Amino acid sequence: MKRLILLPLLAAALALSACGGSSSTGSSSGASSSAKSSGGSTGGHTTITLWEGYTETEATSIKALAAEFNKSHPSITVNVQFYGNNDYALQKVLAAIAGGKPPDISYLYGSWAPNIATNPQVVTLNKLIAQDPSFNWNDFWPAERNVATVNGKIIGIPALVDNLALVYNKKLFKQAGLATPTPNWTWSDFQNAALKLTNPAAKQFGWAYVNDASEDTVWRFWALLWQAGGSILSPDGKHAAFDSAAGVKAATMLQTLAAKHAIYLDNGSDNYLSVFNNGHIGMLYTGPWDLSQIVQAKTDYGVTTLPGDANHQTISGPDNWVMFNNGAARTAAAWTFLKWLTSPAIDLKWATMTGDLPIRASVAKLAGYGNFTKKYPGIATWASNLANATQSRPQLTVYPKISTAVGQAVQSVLLGRAQPQQALSQAAQQVNGILAAPG
Amino acid sequence: MSVQPIAAAPERFPPLPDAGPSRHRGRLPFSPWHLVLAPLAAIMLVPLIWMVIVSLETRQQATSFPPVLIPSSLHFDNYSAAWNAVPFGRFFINSLLYSLATVAGNLLFCSLAAYAFARIRFFGRNVLFVLLLATLMVPFQVILIPTFLIVKQIGLVDSVGGLIMPNLCSAFGIFMLRQFFRTLPIELEEAARIDGTSRLGILFKIVLPLSMPALATLAIIQFMWSWNDFLWPLIIIDSQAHAPLQLGLSQLQGAHFTQWNLLMAGTVMSQIPMILVFLLAQRWFVRSVAFTGIK
Amino acid sequence: MSAASHASRTAVRERPSLLRRLLRSDQLAGWAFVTPAVILIAVFALIPIGWSLLLSLQSNNLIAPPHYVGLANYKALAKDPAFRSAIGHTLVYTVLFVPISVGGALAIAVALNRRIRGIRFYRLAVFIPLVTSTVATGIIFLWLLDPTFGLVNYVLHLLGLPQQQFLQDPNQALYCIVAMTVWSWLGFDVIIYLAALQGIPEDLLEASEMDGAGRWATFRSIVLPLLGPATLFIVVWSTINALQLFDEIYVTTRGGPLGSTTVVVYYLYQQAFQFFNGGYGAAIAYVLFVAILIVTLLQLWIGRKRVYYSS
Repeated sequence: MKRLILLPLLAAALALSACGGSSSTGSSSGASSSAKSSGGSTGGHTTITLWEGYTETEATSIKALAAEFNKSHPSITVNVQFYGNNDYALQKVLAAIAGGKPPDISYLYGSWAPNIATNPQVVTLNKLIAQDPSFNWNDFWPAERNVATVNGKIIGIPALVDNLALVYNKKLFKQAGLATPTPNWTWSDFQNAALKLTNPAAKQFGWAYVNDASEDTVWRFWALLWQAGGSILSPDGKHAAFDSAAGVKAATMLQTLAAKHAIYLDNGSDNYLSVFNNGHIGMLYTGPWDLSQIVQAKTDYGVTTLPGDANHQTISGPDNWVMFNNGAARTAAAWTFLKWLTSPAIDLKWATMTGDLPIRASVAKLAGYGNFTKKYPGIATWASNLANATQSRPQLTVYPKISTAVGQAVQSVLLGRAQPQQALSQAAQQVNGILAAPG
Repeated sequence: MSVQPIAAAPERFPPLPDAGPSRHRGRLPFSPWHLVLAPLAAIMLVPLIWMVIVSLETRQQATSFPPVLIPSSLHFDNYSAAWNAVPFGRFFINSLLYSLATVAGNLLFCSLAAYAFARIRFFGRNVLFVLLLATLMVPFQVILIPTFLIVKQIGLVDSVGGLIMPNLCSAFGIFMLRQFFRTLPIELEEAARIDGTSRLGILFKIVLPLSMPALATLAIIQFMWSWNDFLWPLIIIDSQAHAPLQLGLSQLQGAHFTQWNLLMAGTVMSQIPMILVFLLAQRWFVRSVAFTGIK
Repeated sequence: MSAASHASRTAVRERPSLLRRLLRSDQLAGWAFVTPAVILIAVFALIPIGWSLLLSLQSNNLIAPPHYVGLANYKALAKDPAFRSAIGHTLVYTVLFVPISVGGALAIAVALNRRIRGIRFYRLAVFIPLVTSTVATGIIFLWLLDPTFGLVNYVLHLLGLPQQQFLQDPNQALYCIVAMTVWSWLGFDVIIYLAALQGIPEDLLEASEMDGAGRWATFRSIVLPLLGPATLFIVVWSTINALQLFDEIYVTTRGGPLGSTTVVVYYLYQQAFQFFNGGYGAAIAYVLFVAILIVTLLQLWIGRKRVYYSS
């Protein structure tokens, strides 16, 4: 078959054309045939790469801001690249690290910080921050500073901050004849309301909880634990402390509500939001990321702090911009960009464009802040709720394993397959083993 | 060789080439097989139908749970919106290059190797075959980093060539074609060898023409794998200009929020080439003419 | 060929030089034919697999410089109860998936191997789930099987049967995954069987009919044996794939609920990319690799004895 002889020629031609196509854009994107890394510094002009996983509004916003920076800083070009989302991003970043050419700046989940910090190419920012008083590190919220710091080394600049608040459906409350939640609600107020809003026949639930045993399941539990006065680990960080009476109290509330079918158990696909918008869930513990959807669905909603007896603590899940050292020139350029991006004025711009919470406390005092809170009704509650995020998750490299153990425990309680004390004690045992293991 | 069956047989398995579209016996106006195949097709088509429905909904309806199955109005503009939301045309071309190159490479290199494994006795044949087969037994997550390092060493990071190179030949194709080649009657090949035809000639003039269904199948499967590939492109491609389709579509999928209507529109569009390739390859799914007339 | 005939005529007096014999031999031809494939696969698959063997001997979080720990990862694996559970789940899945999908695919391929009107449409329909992305398949099944709002529970409700938890029930989730993967992978085996069915000579079938054999007998004694090579291939390939199940778990249950769908490759992924234990993950991969290799060799050996090749 003469046609088949053409096959190798076709394959070669395609491969060559594909290679050739890349070198034309080699200067601003990844390396092709030359030994050039992704970025470079020639004659005073520096190009740096920034990796992010933004979509929709955030994606257009970051590109707009980068373009603005590039214009006002002619000696630096910031090249923004999309690196996938969720866990896939980690595999790509790890590959780049293995190849010795990580991006100059990367958006990285806060939960990865302790492990990322072990990389020698990560830039430690303590000195840079100390040399620049105008940067005002303490302007960032405590939760953010905790996540960006590993063993005293500051390895990232906050990129995102959020927290959990109580979002409720006003219409369902009115229908049930219930008073809407207040910032002073106790757990019994909350449980009462959840039970009254539950109606299995109408497929209506009082509350929703993400029950996929991932960190999404665990971090909500931590908020409950803290509200009950408990803590995750002992003060020396060597033993689990979440199986205390406080932990059992929190888990018992989950058990009671789940047993009465008052909780919509989300399997991790975040369908709870749609179900809420369709009027089948009364209350959510959620963050500002869901706000745009709720507004678009025209749900009659309200936002307030989380209920609690002793306190109304919440939990925050900040993420970081991490800098990798690809040479002095590029590090300097990356620092200049990040300083600019996280400055109060620019951050307010970002917040107004995207609806993300301001990462600095001083942003609330700026002139345009009122526009921001007006554009996203309810966002002000989340912003002030940041003051309630007083505790953080332990910054340990083994935290993911701790999360898995606790996630299984919480999931088993919600599914009615274990008693609270038993599940938590078992998880505590596992966690003690994890903490005791060497390395 | 004409055959008159002794007893009137019901619709034969498989039907003779000269049979009409359906040899019904007057009981049903169509072949009874439709009663089996139609429900099966319905079950199989559920995802495509659902995707098309979601792709025509508003964003609100598309993110609804439980899903809205009968939208009030059809939004065909989602398709143009998806096309414009990300550089769709560029992604299409990159995917096309990637898929066609890997299909061509696999058809050629796997045929050569499979023929050797099927028909030529050479030293170390069995050990080599198992060694190649072994490469199918390690999950990609484990080897994605070293593969990345090798492609980087060659200098093909962030290029379509880098996508293609590791996928030019797969042990899967070698294994499959080897099985098919071994079912062919060896007499034809032996006769050609006696006539002095080289082994290469036998492969291209006798074996491959008889193996069209197998080659078409390999082409379909390899095209599909390359077209749907996500993880390897994610690792090796940095810039939009070189991203293939699935990687590009993932930009419509956020961590907390996905534009389902646009994503489904994009996904439906991305599946059309695979469907076309499948229909095209059906032409080679016919019984090889060479079989009739053998002994 | 000419060398052989020459040699037979001059056997007593002289034989062609070793070089000439080598050049015309099967050895050279065989190796020449496989060389391109071998080079490509060696560079892009065998070397990376070797690299991960090294990785399995390290304590390596894929971020910081690693250090070698010998067989420590393997020793830890031998004592790991979670790993043992993962093996159990993987075996249950494989033992169900392979026979159901191979048998189902054979039946469907036979049904699709005819020339009735619309057959191309039916074949396309069977092919469609295969090209549907795993993400879309996952979403569809998550909805179909949702305990509160899913379609399947709705149908059960109409039939007066009790509601099930499906993917949220630790005792049911794995079986739901079996159903989901059988459904989405059927097309793959079907098109291979279809290709194989094209290769069955019609005169054999006609002869069987002439002998008065019924359709089923013809199928059993002629078609099935002739499909042997294809069946062997599909069984081996399905087993290799089933033992490496990952994507469908990732987009639906994420190993849950309560770890009931954590299969070996998912456990590997957790270790390497969630717990940052790259070395441990590589060790898991190697143990899996050895297991798959043994199973495959066993299948090939049985196949060698039982499968009929027309040559």
